[in-house]
Amino acid sequence: MIRNNFTRRDFLKSAAVAPFAVAWPAWMPRLAFAPAQSDPRGDVMVVVFLRGAADVLNMVIPHGEEAYYQSRPTLGVARPDDTRANAQNRVIDLDGFFGLHPAMGPLMDAWSSQNLAIVHACGAPDESRSHFKAMELMERGVSDEQGPASGWIGRHLSTYNTGNPSPLRAVGLGEMVPRSMYGSVPVTALRSIIDFHLGGDDQAVAQMTAGLQALYSGPDDLSVVGQETLDILDTLAMLDPEGYTSAGEMAYPQSEFGYGLQQIAQLVKAQVGLEVATIDVGGWDTHFAQGTAEGLMPNLMGDLGQGLAAFHADLHEHHKNLTVVVMSEFGRRVAENASLGTDHGHGSMMMLMGGNVQGGVVHGQWPGLERGQLFGPGDLAVTTDYRDVLAEVLSKRLNNQAFGEIFPDYQTTMRGFVKG
Amino acid sequence: MNLSRREFLRLAGLVAAGASLQACAPLYAELAGGPGEISQWPTPDSSGLFRALSRITYGPRVAERRYAAQIGLGNWVEEQLAYEGIKDLGTMIRIRPYDSINLEADAAEAYEKQDVIEELRRATLTRQIYSNRQLYEVMVEFWTDHFNISVAKGDCWYLKVVDDREVIRAHALGNFRDLLWASAHSPAMMIYLDNQANLAEHPNENYARELMELHTLGVDAGYTQDDVMELARCLTGWTVKEHFWRGEFTFDDDVHDNGTKQVLGKVIEPNGISEAESVLEVLATHPATARFVSHKLVQRFITDDPEADAPELVERATEAFLASDGDIPSVLRVILLDGLVTQTPALPPKYKRPLHFITSALRMLNAETSIPKGVYEYLGFMGQPMFEWPTPDGPPERANAWTSNLMPRWKYALALSTNDLPGTEVKLNKLFDLAGASDPHSVIDQLSTLLIGVPFPQNERDQMLAAMEGRALDDIQQFASVLVAGLVAAPAFQWR
Repeated sequence: MIRNNFTRRDFLKSAAVAPFAVAWPAWMPRLAFAPAQSDPRGDVMVVVFLRGAADVLNMVIPHGEEAYYQSRPTLGVARPDDTRANAQNRVIDLDGFFGLHPAMGPLMDAWSSQNLAIVHACGAPDESRSHFKAMELMERGVSDEQGPASGWIGRHLSTYNTGNPSPLRAVGLGEMVPRSMYGSVPVTALRSIIDFHLGGDDQAVAQMTAGLQALYSGPDDLSVVGQETLDILDTLAMLDPEGYTSAGEMAYPQSEFGYGLQQIAQLVKAQVGLEVATIDVGGWDTHFAQGTAEGLMPNLMGDLGQGLAAFHADLHEHHKNLTVVVMSEFGRRVAENASLGTDHGHGSMMMLMGGNVQGGVVHGQWPGLERGQLFGPGDLAVTTDYRDVLAEVLSKRLNNQAFGEIFPDYQTTMRGFVKG
Repeated sequence: MNLSRREFLRLAGLVAAGASLQACAPLYAELAGGPGEISQWPTPDSSGLFRALSRITYGPRVAERRYAAQIGLGNWVEEQLAYEGIKDLGTMIRIRPYDSINLEADAAEAYEKQDVIEELRRATLTRQIYSNRQLYEVMVEFWTDHFNISVAKGDCWYLKVVDDREVIRAHALGNFRDLLWASAHSPAMMIYLDNQANLAEHPNENYARELMELHTLGVDAGYTQDDVMELARCLTGWTVKEHFWRGEFTFDDDVHDNGTKQVLGKVIEPNGISEAESVLEVLATHPATARFVSHKLVQRFITDDPEADAPELVERATEAFLASDGDIPSVLRVILLDGLVTQTPALPPKYKRPLHFITSALRMLNAETSIPKGVYEYLGFMGQPMFEWPTPDGPPERANAWTSNLMPRWKYALALSTNDLPGTEVKLNKLFDLAGASDPHSVIDQLSTLLIGVPFPQNERDQMLAAMEGRALDDIQQFASVLVAGLVAAPAFQWR
């Protein structure tokens, strides 16, 4: 069943006869004549993808597991009570068995307020250990090459009609839209609110814009994207990105990720109809010298942790309608390699952040890191399929139950990661 | 403002008066000779030749269209394949200022990192825009993507200079085996995929995996995780010199794993560097490699979806690959001559990737550009940063990876046609003069013939003009340049 017979263009047509059509731009979410049968909007979902297969065993660390330290004589992060290490280089304990890498310490606020949930040993069935195949399958939400070419977020958007005509309903932060958003609902890449304009002098821009409106008025897919782009241009022109101030005490990191999150926060606060945003963080393919307490990967974790913590603080008034999902294509080998890095592994970890997650808990069945408990060439086993996590977020937080279409070859199970 | 015929004639008058476009062509470009003025306007294309040339070039110039029409596409492709016979002195002179591209690794390392990267980018774009050896440059780009290396990783910022010259450019239209061999012995590749850290006591799988997955067999060719690990053992000790002859490839026997290995079902006895080299021989001519490379080439030149649109073409290209032992021109002959010439009417659309969009606008408008950062940084805004794609898969080919980001294309179109792009000049007044049109409608028809091969559908043309006239500028010259921007930004120009 696909309910997306109602397109954005249909909406524009209906708006043309509505009394407010002239007064309000068509994207305005508060339009009184939104179709009565539309589905209730749920949370804003923000999906953070860690590209390159993040070494989750050094992010949410099983410090209660002796095998972790045996497999990682150099990369193992000191136990919370290991007084041989400086206090700031030790694992921050979460529940007596797992702890956060100290670089992700800024997330402790969210953890203590039960707005942060972790699902460990989580991942996909694919065993290729290929970044590109694993990412493709995961973003399509399928088990193998069969099945739809669109992405899981794309199918969520097309199976769930919120009657929201905003061109900013779904946005991919950055220069490109990730595979997960491919589908029949157009999604725009947004690199920077500040740069989202044509440049040039006012008269030339006015003439160009008028020309573009005519040129992109056709029914083809690219023209639809063009119309969206023009609408977004109007919408963003009303924001003031340079004068933006966070409502939280924690500053966003000075990084592409920090800047991207800040822009998502601005869109959330401006209530421009944002439902889904994606943002990527690259650089997690740490085969070589990844660093233990400091270095390459701790820097990445610092950026991630501080970014998410700043986002959490900034949007404190919006927590009840916000769910952040953090994921990666697979995990890395349990044992460190000779170049003080880690090779491609299997089981990964997901984080959920928001006002309605079952927070303050490390979810999932822990498979263990002892010999005999490992998977394949020495990898963390997967005990929770990533689609169970996503399906629960979609179901309980975004009100969409169409898993048959979103994850067509998988029977999802609700495991209580978020509140209904 | 309603543009009358008389007002458009005034535009021609401005030409005669020598309107105030700044002359910014640097001296070396003078010496090289420009791409030549467009001396005769192209005629609308009805044969599909324009689209075929759009696949093989970075946007066909008028002279290329005329010449290909004259000798036939088949002969034109043959000439392009024998690229060393094509005179290209002008390009040589244009890239002369970028002297770091000719350096050995240890010499390049003494330069500033930003300068080395910038010169490589500007030299590459110069060749793409100005070289007469268009198919060769297109293939250089293809292999640059296939054997992707990011200058952001470690010492790759200067090692890539050597890789570009001695791996990619040396073999782009040669033999795949030689290309693969050169890439596997390339210091830049060793660093980019961590093989310098691949040691006997604990191998690093990164390069071994991508060598099979991305460079040769393809991910679903049937090799296993064990094959990856065993090939990684064969590759232990393949590394880069650090002190004397810094940046050169070397094999370090001390860290090589001297055990017996088994890769793809074949037992490999301990034999130093020859172990992995024997695997390279197998990979270079493996049927799965032939298919994987052929598929990718068909996807680049013919269709996003070779399985659905051109399965037989992939089949024939694969056969040509195997029959010729990986001779790249033999494979291209099949794909271009069969795929473009005989199937032209049914040619599925291909979306211009950012690089193609940027270069085709410059070439087709006959722009003079020195390609400063202000031009090539648009590639990053559009999602295809040059020599800086982070992951080893290279930038994607299919349209849906790129279609969501129109804004920077529009911005570029406006900057280019209003001569706001740094170091770049489009002589619009000359173009208008030559187009010889006396009213706005026919000017759009003429420019459209230049940029997309045929006039705009009349309906769309009238709508666009009506919309733009409603917002028209006081300055007729500026009106005309925004009109050109509209054509470059139009949906039709986004496809090749």
